[in-house]
Amino acid sequence: MTVEMDNSRALDGTRVLDLCDEKGVYCAKLLAEMGADVVKVERPGGDETRAIGPFVHDVPDPERSLFFMHYNTSKRGITLDIEKPEGREILLRLIGKADVLVETFRPGYLAGLGLDYGALRELNPRLIMVSITDFGQTGPYRDYLSSDLIACALGGMISVCGDADTPPIRPYLNQAYHTASHFATIGTLMALYYRNFSGEGQYLDISLEDGIAAILEHLGIYYFYHGTVAKRQGTLHWSRAFKVFETKNGYALMSFRDRWDDMVAWLDSEGMAHDLADPRYRELSYRLDNLSHIIEVVAAFARTKTTEEIVEMGQLLRMPYGKVRDVAELVDDEHLIDRGFWVPVAHPELGATFKYPGAPFKAHGSPWHLRHRAPLIGEHNPEVYEGELGLTKEELSTLRERGVI
Amino acid sequence: MEGLRVVDFTWVMAGPYCTRFLGDFGAEVIKIQSEEIGRAEPVHGFNSFWNRNKLSVTINMSTTTGREVCKRLIKISDVVVDNFSARVLRQWGLDWESTKSLHSDLIMVSMAGMGHSGPMRDYVSFGPTLHAMAGVTALSTFPGHGPLGFGYSYADHVGGLTGAMAVLQALNYRYRTGKGQFIDVAQLEGMSALLSTAPLECTINGKPPKPMGNRNQNPAAAPHGIYRCKGDDRWVAIAVFSDGEWASFCRAIGAPEWTKKPELATSAGRNNHEDELDRLVEEWTGQHAAEEVMHLLQNAGVRAGVVQNAEDIVENDPQLLARSMWVHAEHPELGKCYFDGTPLKFSETPQRLRRAVPELGQDNDYIFGELLGMSQKEIGQLADEGVLR
Repeated sequence: MTVEMDNSRALDGTRVLDLCDEKGVYCAKLLAEMGADVVKVERPGGDETRAIGPFVHDVPDPERSLFFMHYNTSKRGITLDIEKPEGREILLRLIGKADVLVETFRPGYLAGLGLDYGALRELNPRLIMVSITDFGQTGPYRDYLSSDLIACALGGMISVCGDADTPPIRPYLNQAYHTASHFATIGTLMALYYRNFSGEGQYLDISLEDGIAAILEHLGIYYFYHGTVAKRQGTLHWSRAFKVFETKNGYALMSFRDRWDDMVAWLDSEGMAHDLADPRYRELSYRLDNLSHIIEVVAAFARTKTTEEIVEMGQLLRMPYGKVRDVAELVDDEHLIDRGFWVPVAHPELGATFKYPGAPFKAHGSPWHLRHRAPLIGEHNPEVYEGELGLTKEELSTLRERGVI
Repeated sequence: MEGLRVVDFTWVMAGPYCTRFLGDFGAEVIKIQSEEIGRAEPVHGFNSFWNRNKLSVTINMSTTTGREVCKRLIKISDVVVDNFSARVLRQWGLDWESTKSLHSDLIMVSMAGMGHSGPMRDYVSFGPTLHAMAGVTALSTFPGHGPLGFGYSYADHVGGLTGAMAVLQALNYRYRTGKGQFIDVAQLEGMSALLSTAPLECTINGKPPKPMGNRNQNPAAAPHGIYRCKGDDRWVAIAVFSDGEWASFCRAIGAPEWTKKPELATSAGRNNHEDELDRLVEEWTGQHAAEEVMHLLQNAGVRAGVVQNAEDIVENDPQLLARSMWVHAEHPELGKCYFDGTPLKFSETPQRLRRAVPELGQDNDYIFGELLGMSQKEIGQLADEGVLR
């Protein structure tokens, strides 16, 4: 087996089978980069997500999908048609040796193949099976269809993004998939920990809609405790303490909750404080009542300065100001580079090495590890089928002819 | 997570959201606050959501003795979590360097906005700051419009989720190796990991993505957007990804003439005429209630969903109700108080709702008397010195 067995990763020795589409690929990637041996099971010819672009240098090709490349780093890849009887047999053998199975098929699909949790538990009582679906395994919407946009809408997120005079907007894409994957990963880690003491696996049911409804900060709270339905108000944060302002050369995120006196003194030093120095503004309630006026004054001030000037001074005054940046700037960010966030990943098949985003946290004892690029189609078939399951080259050949792999 | 003890120094949202996971599933999470700070964060909605299933103890962190008491508590705990900037724990003598020797396998997770290292580590940041810096604000808008971004601190949830992952992977590692560790969770990094293909679009193709409102290019889909419905500020989300789904959509809405336009027959055509398509779709949705549109389309196999607001998700969504998304517990001051359930539906270890948010200092006696084994006399003395509040 050529999988690196480095003892300093949290999930070393943990075997994961990834049968996921967009909903769960990120979960499996997180597990892989915490040290698990993740095998991605694709249908013969390659997973459907390989058709999602953009593509490397705009050349559409299943081995050049940026989507697939990003979400499947650190995994090994095999091909298998699980709807064929021989395919199912092989999958059962793999499941027998696995610790975790993550899947995103519609509810009932795996049961129809005799691969529901009840059956799999008989085979492998230590298995932790995680299903990530549009609406979960139960409930009146169980058979409804979703997507990132639909989940963010139903979950409540979209209703508070956008402005009063624009339609509601979905913030930058795939957060429903990321959120569900985060919850699935947390649940898997809990189940693995619990299994240390119980010796048994279990089933975890994750829904895209549930995930979004669980990450809405003020929405539920304001409804339950203040009886108000939160509305869209552009970049003005629900707390009314933060807003994005246009500057001379771009946009800056500014705040006006803390350090009020310092902020007013700053505007005043440039003769742009208007009446904000009036002591009545020191009262938070007065500021909230006169917020539009404050915003007008700050906006006029912001337009006379560059974003860099504003953010620098703001941070000096200990205010949580930030530059509204493009992703291109993030990639060259000194802070992230210094912390080693960006990781070089080799693509020998393309004769190149590319910079990828890396660790979402820095664990000093069991470090995050982006091991290698996403697998090519069927790249690890020999390793897994011959090396681990003991199939012969002839058997593999036959399976290939029959379209099983 | 039963049998685990967590010393919880977290405040505002990201930190408590992280430790909440542990409490929800059985860990003993001890929230430490000085009385002064605790009174400033009153027991109400936010506190109720983020701090259920936790214990509360008051310790005056500005006194040396108070910090000593904390050290005694850390000594008998498994995990310490905070989301202050790096200076705070250092000032209190409770940072990793000072505490790691207390305990052979202590796990400490710190969740500062910018992390504990790097040129911008002393930056002050809240959710919106991180959204702006991570590039999400600029990308979340309509073409040609100024930035819109998130209306709330999604980054705080991301911080909490990332922190929970960090703690749990450390616990698994500790079980296997017997070793604890320090984990530095920079919320900026947590957010930067969620940009999907945007970083690779820059680093590989040199073509950063542009904002595209509610449309979807990868994969291409049309119609794909948020459409106005009948009523005041009511909208529906519709997403059609294939020719098959398009055929279902047309049938479901009664196959009006416009759906037969040749330019809309292929997905390439639909993408090229998206403005016109969106206008036509909205002419239709505008005549119907959002709920009607959603169920009509879903029953025809088309992806659609009401843009639900707070009232919708709490009162009107049968799926969220069936999934027990909103639960409640009794609280002496708040009475019946509501908060969110959990998306983690386990078969063997379901979430247990053990208690609502604690009152400030509610568990002082338990912590000082039982856990730390202090005598009544000692407790009285420390109280007199102003240490235990």
